[in-house]
This record gives sequence, C-alpha cells and structure tokens, in this order.
Amino acid sequence: MTENEVTKTLTYVDEIPASLSLKVPAKTSLKLCLAAFRPLQNTRIDIEVGEGGTFEGVFADFSSSQYTFTLNVYLEGSHSSCDWHLAAIADKNDSKRYDTSVFHKKEESLGLMSNYGIAEGESKLVFAGISEIEKGAKKTHTRQVAKIIVFDPKADGQASPILKIGENDVEASHAAVVGRLSEEHLFYLESRGIDEAMAKRLITLGYLKPIELQFDSEALRQKIDDAIEGGVSHD
Amino acid sequence: MSKLSIKNLHVAVKGKEILHGVDLDVSEGETLALLGPNGHGKSTLLAAIMGNPAYQVTAGTIMLDDQNVLALSPDKRSRAGLFLAMQYPSEIPGLNSADFLKAAMNAHADKPLSLFQFYNSLQKAYEAMGIPFEMSKRNLNEGFSGGEKKRNEMLQMKLLQPKIALLDEIDSGLDVDAMGIVAKAIGDEEARGAGFLVVSHYARLYNMIKPTRAAILINGRIAVSGGIDLIEKVDTQGYEWIKTELGIPVEKENDNAMNSVSIGACATRVAVNNDGK
Repeated sequence: MTENEVTKTLTYVDEIPASLSLKVPAKTSLKLCLAAFRPLQNTRIDIEVGEGGTFEGVFADFSSSQYTFTLNVYLEGSHSSCDWHLAAIADKNDSKRYDTSVFHKKEESLGLMSNYGIAEGESKLVFAGISEIEKGAKKTHTRQVAKIIVFDPKADGQASPILKIGENDVEASHAAVVGRLSEEHLFYLESRGIDEAMAKRLITLGYLKPIELQFDSEALRQKIDDAIEGGVSHD
Repeated sequence: MSKLSIKNLHVAVKGKEILHGVDLDVSEGETLALLGPNGHGKSTLLAAIMGNPAYQVTAGTIMLDDQNVLALSPDKRSRAGLFLAMQYPSEIPGLNSADFLKAAMNAHADKPLSLFQFYNSLQKAYEAMGIPFEMSKRNLNEGFSGGEKKRNEMLQMKLLQPKIALLDEIDSGLDVDAMGIVAKAIGDEEARGAGFLVVSHYARLYNMIKPTRAAILINGRIAVSGGIDLIEKVDTQGYEWIKTELGIPVEKENDNAMNSVSIGACATRVAVNNDGK
C-alpha cells in the first residue's frame, strides 16, 4: 500500500448509505470502514478498482436487522486487489444475508473475502457471494472464507460462497463452515465456575474480536468490544 | 471437613449405560487412587461428577456434604468446591488464557479481584508450575503440548483451590521433571487440606503423591476398595487376579463411549481454526 500515491479512508458508523458506488483509481488505495449497531436497510455497495489499486473493506455488523447486504468488487485493472473482512452477529429474529462478491477482470489481481458470524436466538444468517475469475485474468488469486457458529437450536446459519473460474492459470480456494457451539468447550469453561452466559461471551469474543484490529479508531474498537459482549449477554 | 459421597451411581453415554451402580466417598484431606482397566468407567465417573452434559446420570446420588451435586450446573459444582483436571483439555480458539483465568477466579471470588491481586496470584501459579508467564498471553490450550496442557490444568487447580479435586490421567504425556512439578502441586493442595480422587495407570505418580486409599473400578462398579497395597498389586500383576481371586470377570475394553463425546469439539475447532485446508 505504501507505494500507492493516494490512500483514502471512508468510515460509516450506523449511517451506512443504502447505495454506494465508489471508484478506486489506478495506483490508489481505498479503505472502507463500516460499523453498525442500529437496524439497517438493504444496502448495496459497488467498488471498481483500477490498475494497481487496492480496496480494503471491514464491516463489524452488530445491528439488529432484517436485510441483505450486497458488496460487489470489480477488479478492473491488472494487479488490483480486494481485502474484505466481516464480523456479524445475528440474534433474536434477525435475518441477515451477505452477498459479498469479487470479479476478477484482469490478470494478477488478488481477492480475499473473509466473513465470520454468530447466529443466536431464532435468527438466520447467510453468507453467500461469488468469486469470479474471467477468462484472461491469468495469475489471479482469489479466496472466500465463510464461517458461522450457530449458538442456539432455533438459529440458522448458511455459508455458501461460490467460485466461478474461467481461466486456468489461477489460484482459487474457498472455505465454508457452519458449526454448532461446542458443548465440550462450554463444559470446559463452566467446569471452572464460569456461568453459561459468560462462557458464551468469552467464546464469542475469541471468535469476533480479531475484527477490531482492522479498525484504527480506539473509540470504535471499544464500541465493538462492548457490542460483542452485549450480543450474548441477554441470555 | 467436606465429603463427596457417591451412592448407587448409574451413568449412560448416548443411551448406553457405562456405570452400573458406583459407591464411593472422598473427604477433604484424603487422596483416593482410582484404578481400573481402560473403558471400565473411570473417566465417565469423573465427568459425571463434574456434570459433563454428554453423560446422563440415570440413577443414584452425588452429594457434597448436604448439597445435591446432581441438581447443580457444572459452574455451580465448581463454585461449590469441585474441580476436574481433564484427560483431554479443550483448546478454545481465540480465548486468551489470562482472560479465561480471570473470569474463572472472579467466578469463585465474592467480589472481583483487583488487577494487582490477580496478577500476583497468576505469576506465583505460573512460577510454581514451571510455565513461562508468557504463556498467559496465549490462547487457552491452543497449540499447547500434551504436557503443557496437563500443567495448565494443575495451574487452574492451584488458582481455584477446590475442596475436592478429580484428576483424570494428569500424568499422561508428562516427562519426569513435569511429573515432579505436578506431584508437588498436588502435595501442596493436600497440605492445604484438599481431597483428591486420582485416576492414573502408573504407580510412579502414586508413589509421589502418597494416596491414603485405593479403589478399583471394574465393569462399571467398584470391585475392590482398600489400602494402597492395591496400587502395587495392580502395578505388578495387572487385573487378572480380580477374576481369579474375586470371581469377577473383567469385560473387554470398550471405548465407544468416549468417541461420541468429542465430535462437537472437533466440529467447532474446524469451524474456527481450519481455513478449509
């Protein structure tokens, strides 16, 4: 990133626009920081990244919402890159869907999509999206990670990232895991005197806290910390 | 002086009964060596005492003095004074050891510990267990060697000071030096007045911690209980004499029971750790 001439950071806390279209000109960097603690409406973000440009995105979503979040990153130029991190909690009757897609149009582009979530209560949490490599986008590297821990019997988690590959000379991978909260882990913590609510909080913290490192603002980090704890403290 | 008292305990795992009526007592100040072949229910007994939800108590009672242990959740059992050092301690991804220990110690304290009190006891315990203090910054048991996990269990015991501690093969995976450290930790707690129920296959640990009594668990029941001469007898002769002297046939090892327990743990470990490789 240091070799790029212009680095821009955009931060939205709660007031995330319903539609956002951004261009990252050649050889520049954009960092998009999103954090939500209040209900959100359907949101669609489109990012075009020019040659040698860098897009970094991070989203801490602790909102109580019924919505779809769509992110499309178009890696239009060669040597362009996208690095995306999401941490989301869905609780109670939340229904949250994240379609995070990256389209590799040119050669030697890099696309990383990483989504982590926790589904509690009777919520539904879906991680979807496409990582597509167009023909001619040689030596491209793309990776999608989607991981969900389902905390409660009535909660539903789905992780289904898709890879579409139209070129041979590429590296592409994806990981999708949905797992129930481990009873063995809970028992271990509880056997040390820690009650169930606190044990869940500790496990959640360990799972979602790494997202904080992506934010530069200390105040925002603290707010995310509180939200992670608050997200499981009601039960 | 507190007493853990188990009567006619029946325990099933996934609908299959493993313990068929166990009677056993352990009091503060005494150390009971629990012996028995693999698969006969030693770990099951310890897990059931601590309240592992994978083990269903179908009959019998467990009392700690006048408290009905079976009515308590595992965290309340811990706060009542029970402690289980596990044979296979869980690795908890992302959970910092010091944060975990603080939560556990605060759960046992009347009011939250001051930062000074906490770090003071933490440092002493790490030093006593021969664990570098740096390890307190690592995630709980994540990437720890077998021996480090066992010492970490003993570290937790030291910090939580239970009335009755249950140790499930605490000596497996330990080298001679580490075994000395673990034995000393047990000795210190014995001197404080804690009671122990210790499961081990090896006379070496028992020689170091000097049990006061021994019992042998066969086919899901206590077949023999008595003095510590039983330990040497098992160490030199195995369990064949149980059949010839007592007429109790020793059932073949059956380890199906343990398999069903670890599935959940693996699944989440995959979910959290493994990047799909």
